[in-house]
Amino acid sequence: MTAQAAAAPVALHRVLPPEEAARANFYALLARLVNAPPDGALLHRISGAGPLEAAGEPDLARAWRELVAASSVMDADAAAQEHEALFATMGKQVVAIYAGAYTGAPAVEHPRVRIRADLVALGLAPRPGATEPEDHLGGLLEVMRVLVGGGAGRDAATLAEQRRFFQAHVGPAAGRFFAALARAEPANYYRKVAALGAAFVALEAESFSLD
Amino acid sequence: MKTTRTPRRNFLLAAGLGGAGAIAAVATARKPVPGAKTQAAAAEPQGYRASEHILKYYKTTEV
Repeated sequence: MTAQAAAAPVALHRVLPPEEAARANFYALLARLVNAPPDGALLHRISGAGPLEAAGEPDLARAWRELVAASSVMDADAAAQEHEALFATMGKQVVAIYAGAYTGAPAVEHPRVRIRADLVALGLAPRPGATEPEDHLGGLLEVMRVLVGGGAGRDAATLAEQRRFFQAHVGPAAGRFFAALARAEPANYYRKVAALGAAFVALEAESFSLD
Repeated sequence: MKTTRTPRRNFLLAAGLGGAGAIAAVATARKPVPGAKTQAAAAEPQGYRASEHILKYYKTTEV
């Protein structure tokens, strides 16, 4: 812990209802798996996780069950190779990891410009030293995690703010991204990640339409 | 925090998110966003933060 962190005042956070905490955790896990391959510890933790409620959303529960099963037989080296084969940024990516690739990215009014402006309005910005552009889907999923669960120096966003950011920058692109990931030839373990991501994003899109 | 059972909340609970502790058990293992600096606080998100300096910079890039 740095001296600065040690001297930081204690922050009091509101306790999230369980379904909102679960949403934040889904975003966190998906962001983690998009940003980097799972290491051995994460594979172990996923493989030891229990099932989702059987009476819940069947696509989500099935996707989770299959990811848990795949994690129990996947090793970190193979996951790293697969992640690199899918998302390596040298040359053309097998699966584009930037939202602009799925939503159309005109030279003027590129999605990154709008995302940048919306991040400022939400009081968020990439950490100094971050090299990925703002429409990196791992980063966008991480933004949703912050908006749902709070963190990064701010409380959870209002539902209206969450909805606006999701519908403007995350939902359509993430849905197409996970569909492309599921179809990608090098995908094996990440096909399970794609199924989980697609089911969760569909659930989010539907839930945002209910209010 | 609003605690009334809105249709949206009912929907999320019916979808099984109310008991999704399985996700919480694994979701805390995070790695930095590519290119981001390692942070000391594990509970904090890795990719974004509020920063006056950065906010001012981005203000200059708004269109």
